[in-house]
Amino acid sequence: MTSKRLLSAYTWLFLAFMFAPLLLMIVTSFNDTSPPSVTDWQGFTTKWYRFFWMPVEDLRADPVLRILDRDRFAQCFGNSLTVAGVVVPLSLLLGLAGAVMLTRWQSRFNSVLWWVLLSPMLAPGIVLGLSALVFWGRVGVNGGLFTIMMAQVTFIAGYPMLILMARLQRQPVELEEAALDLGASPWRTFRRITLPFLAPALFSAAVIAFLASMENYNTTMFAKGGACTFATEIGAMARNPNGHPPVINAVGTIIILLTVAFAVGHALLQRKERPA
Amino acid sequence: MSGVSLNSVIKKYGDVQVVHGVDMQIEDGEFCVFVGPSGCGKSTLLRMIAGLEETTDGVIQIGPRDVTRVDPSERGVAMVFQTYALYPHMTVEENMGFGLRMTGHPKAEIKAKVAEASRVLKLDDYLSRKPKALSGGQRQRVAIGRAIVRGPEVFLFDEPLSNLDAELRVEMRVEIARLHKEIGATMIYVTHDQVEAMTLADKIVVLRDGRVEQIGKPLDLYNDPENQFVAGFIGSPAMNFFSGTVANGAVSVPALGGQALPAPASASDGPITVGVRPQRLRLAQGDSHEVDLSEQLGGVAYHYLIAGDGTRMIVEAHDQSSPQSGSRVGISVEDGEALFFDTQSGVRLR
Repeated sequence: MTSKRLLSAYTWLFLAFMFAPLLLMIVTSFNDTSPPSVTDWQGFTTKWYRFFWMPVEDLRADPVLRILDRDRFAQCFGNSLTVAGVVVPLSLLLGLAGAVMLTRWQSRFNSVLWWVLLSPMLAPGIVLGLSALVFWGRVGVNGGLFTIMMAQVTFIAGYPMLILMARLQRQPVELEEAALDLGASPWRTFRRITLPFLAPALFSAAVIAFLASMENYNTTMFAKGGACTFATEIGAMARNPNGHPPVINAVGTIIILLTVAFAVGHALLQRKERPA
Repeated sequence: MSGVSLNSVIKKYGDVQVVHGVDMQIEDGEFCVFVGPSGCGKSTLLRMIAGLEETTDGVIQIGPRDVTRVDPSERGVAMVFQTYALYPHMTVEENMGFGLRMTGHPKAEIKAKVAEASRVLKLDDYLSRKPKALSGGQRQRVAIGRAIVRGPEVFLFDEPLSNLDAELRVEMRVEIARLHKEIGATMIYVTHDQVEAMTLADKIVVLRDGRVEQIGKPLDLYNDPENQFVAGFIGSPAMNFFSGTVANGAVSVPALGGQALPAPASASDGPITVGVRPQRLRLAQGDSHEVDLSEQLGGVAYHYLIAGDGTRMIVEAHDQSSPQSGSRVGISVEDGEALFFDTQSGVRLR
């Protein structure tokens, strides 16, 4: 009986350890004080959220918000979307090619290839960022959005590859062989049989690649040159020696909400798909 | 419609050779069965004919065409897979019409051909169902239907009945035989089950370790096997093998209680292997053999005997006698009912 109680106490402790910081962050995002604080409650406010759309006059009137560069923030966020807009399709394409090759092409080099293709995922992000910067520097391309994209793709392509490989391994090869045998060309077989089967996995892979691209900090930091992204900009704001503005907490809260919504939506979609 | 011929066909995976120069000629409209133990290369050979495995060397012809390097889609074959390989997201009708849709046939023609195949296979009631709403036997019929609709020159079956239960297997076996009669197309059928081979085939190809052991009509293989492997593989229960000794034109077989059999002309003095089918052995008066076990099935009985020298054998009888385990019996084999094989090479001696 005691062991059971101990276990549940441990479980609660563990959950608290995981989620208490998030809860505190959400609470402080509504506290009217900067830098964010839980102990010093100055009253409820939504201005850390409204920062993103409040009129310029209000912005200028606020002692904390007026130091922040809202336009720059928006621009960096836009950069992130641009980067993700290239990184996601490119990673899907590369990951798909890798997954098809590793699951459908019997070669004794497969296991070596697997490691080679996945090694960027295991390599430290700093190394990837630096190597992209050095490599493209030699070619005459300076750090910027392009190098960020290239550096990110090297390791993000691994996620779709793993997800698609798992799916492809569950699809019997005979389905494709039967199509070839029934008169479909390899390309038609891929489009009519393999690709429809992969569709849900492609969607999952796209979401994960998108999140990985948006949140990436270390690789991006080294490859960015003079550019900025959503993650590096938040990083810059967080390094403020006087404590970061609670706007970051507001952003964090929104990200959590979006993530939860995504996860729930995904789970619902899967449940709908299964009994069909 | 056309036959299939293989000429010195070889398959290698890297350095490992799995098919060693196979030659065979399958006539137009023939039902040819590849049979052999697992790992003998029979499925590989079939997949090479289908074009799903690359042929390392040799020539494969379908009709007059050399298809050795031709894409699977261009070979004019249709394969029925052990796992059915039906498309889960398509209805039975769509599955069956898939081949023609891929090759761009008009809708009306596809519909007519699907209807015809579904009539032959009695699938009319299931056309709008998805494969998962069908039983194993129905799925297999859809898979066969899909092949029929494609209208191939050659049908290829890769162990199509292995995933079915015993009862359905017999039913589908009969159905496939009926289908062959009705369509009259060339069919190549792979199985490890010699009963399927015997019942379906016009011609059986017995394979072992990537080599052809013998090609022939079912009864020819049964009655006149060329070597010990074929003799042991074809026929159920399997042939009994005994070691004997040739001397002075007679073979003495200790396991048969010292009964002497006339030696084949080509045998020289020394050791020899003697094969007798369980159906050709008879219980007799005597006490040379111990009854280990007796299985009485009513119409047929299998007696498992142990000879004085420890050799085990099976006797098939068609009466309802059932000797007690542990009791002693004699045994007899009639002249001319035994086959002889070289002990070293397993080659038949006549």
